[in-house]
Amino acid sequence: MRWTLLIVFAIVALLASVVMGPAAVPLNELLHSDIVWNLRVPRALLALLVGGSLGVAGAGLQALVRNPLADPFLLGLSGGAGLGAVLAIALHVSGPWALPIAAFVGALAALGLVYRLGLIGGAALDPRILLLGGVAIGAFAAAVTTAIVSLADAAELRNAFLWLWGGLSGASWDTVLIIAVYAPIPLVVLFAASRPLDLLALGEESAGYLGADVERVKRRVYLAASLLTAAAVAVSGVIGFVGLVVPHIARLTWGHRHRVLLPAAFLGGGALLAFSDTLARTVVAPRELPVGVVTALIGVPVFAMLLRRWTIP
Amino acid sequence: MLRRLFVFVLLLSACRTSARRHDTAPAQRVVSLLPSFTEILFAIGAGDRVVGRTQWCDYPPEALAVPSVGEGLPPNIEAVAARKPDLVVVYKSGANMTAVQQFERIGIHTVLLDLNRLEDLGPATRTLGKLTGHEAQAESLVAKMDSFTYRPLPPPTVSIAFVVWDNPPIVIGRGSYLDELATQAGARNVFSDVTAPSAQVSLETIVARNPQWIAVLSDSGKPPDFARRREWRAVAAVRDGRFLLLKGSLFGRPGPRSGQAIAELRRMLAR
Repeated sequence: MRWTLLIVFAIVALLASVVMGPAAVPLNELLHSDIVWNLRVPRALLALLVGGSLGVAGAGLQALVRNPLADPFLLGLSGGAGLGAVLAIALHVSGPWALPIAAFVGALAALGLVYRLGLIGGAALDPRILLLGGVAIGAFAAAVTTAIVSLADAAELRNAFLWLWGGLSGASWDTVLIIAVYAPIPLVVLFAASRPLDLLALGEESAGYLGADVERVKRRVYLAASLLTAAAVAVSGVIGFVGLVVPHIARLTWGHRHRVLLPAAFLGGGALLAFSDTLARTVVAPRELPVGVVTALIGVPVFAMLLRRWTIP
Repeated sequence: MLRRLFVFVLLLSACRTSARRHDTAPAQRVVSLLPSFTEILFAIGAGDRVVGRTQWCDYPPEALAVPSVGEGLPPNIEAVAARKPDLVVVYKSGANMTAVQQFERIGIHTVLLDLNRLEDLGPATRTLGKLTGHEAQAESLVAKMDSFTYRPLPPPTVSIAFVVWDNPPIVIGRGSYLDELATQAGARNVFSDVTAPSAQVSLETIVARNPQWIAVLSDSGKPPDFARRREWRAVAAVRDGRFLLLKGSLFGRPGPRSGQAIAELRRMLAR
């Protein structure tokens, strides 16, 4: 029943984002329309892939750091991506893919630094240091970014922030193809870690007793979740709340077993983002809302409702 | 306690009168915190009074000889104060309000001016003329500017969209300066139903409204990077390379050269 509902929601969300939009496309021209084939369909698919990736990355990270506040962007990646994009603009790197590539490189640099910090004090990855290191690196990158924006001469630097919150506007078959090839690798790594992630929830020591190779799992989960997030930020900027709220909703509905939880987080995240993006494009047409606003406006009340239902018997 | 209050009130009123005293005598040392103000001051012959400008003030060329006080929005108080101005001309915007209070607190006279649209040019020029004692020159500049802006409008012959950023797509709506320029040049802004000066829109809206030209502010003279992105090629004007590349220094600000900007835009549209 829960799965049926989720699958129906996902299908409806995808269909709606193809059928609905600010430009009026008559239903009988739907299959031949350039707007539908080259703009709406790739955008809907990108929303599914990015939202799903963020949902899974969030679920994995929350289990890894055993902190319900963990969010894919909490670990310094958005700061690194922002810095990369601003540097590309300040150094006049041009080209149609300059900003996404620079943001991806920035996110990877932040990832590497945070990972290195997490290993401080030995070969064991300390989740608490990972969390604090992520926040610190993110704050540092944001400070450098702001310094560059206020010191450099390029007027278009201010727009780098727009880009970082750009949402799915850059969707095309190119971006869909890139993510469709890239994302399955870290996704499979995370799905394969389902059982050890269940054990990790009991505490690292207990997980070790129960036969999990704790260190290896932690590294894999951190790297896979971060690589997913880095790609997401490169193609669609920072989209809040999907990676935070969707894993919690999935956990409240499907329980703590990651073999079920992760697929639910993927489908739920993808459907929520596709649905939110459709609303973002249509409710104030011809203007458009930043999609992060809509994901928060929908995700948070749903989350609050579920919390209430599950905590009050 | 009462005496202290009395002294305070006395001090306050002293500040008031000192500020008012500034208003009567023409300003000798002016810091201009908007490129448009700098252009107007030079155009009315008060360029020799300008002792400070922003880093963006690049016209006329003589203005570049004036020391820069930085970005200007919001202003760097100390950099401005170091120029020892008796008048600071500030663009009226929320970001500048704190700075204005601080200037007044250290006894520097400030004037806030609106300059967002063509209609603001006349009042701003007259005010600057009065403040610097160049009323006559200001009047003749206003007359000159009126002559190119208030003639009966030509009916629009082409459609145009101003794209100021590509991801997310941000376009210029009705009531902004660029929208006015387009109207004056005989073009219809396809986003004139958007009431905000600029707004985020969906790419498919641009495709559906199908402007004949895409105008972008560009100093490099090269088509924008997004012209080569696949999603943008759904826009016919992008596919056909119908870009209007507008230099920011001429087209990005209302000023004495607005007439030149309108003429140039009309010439580009006639291609």
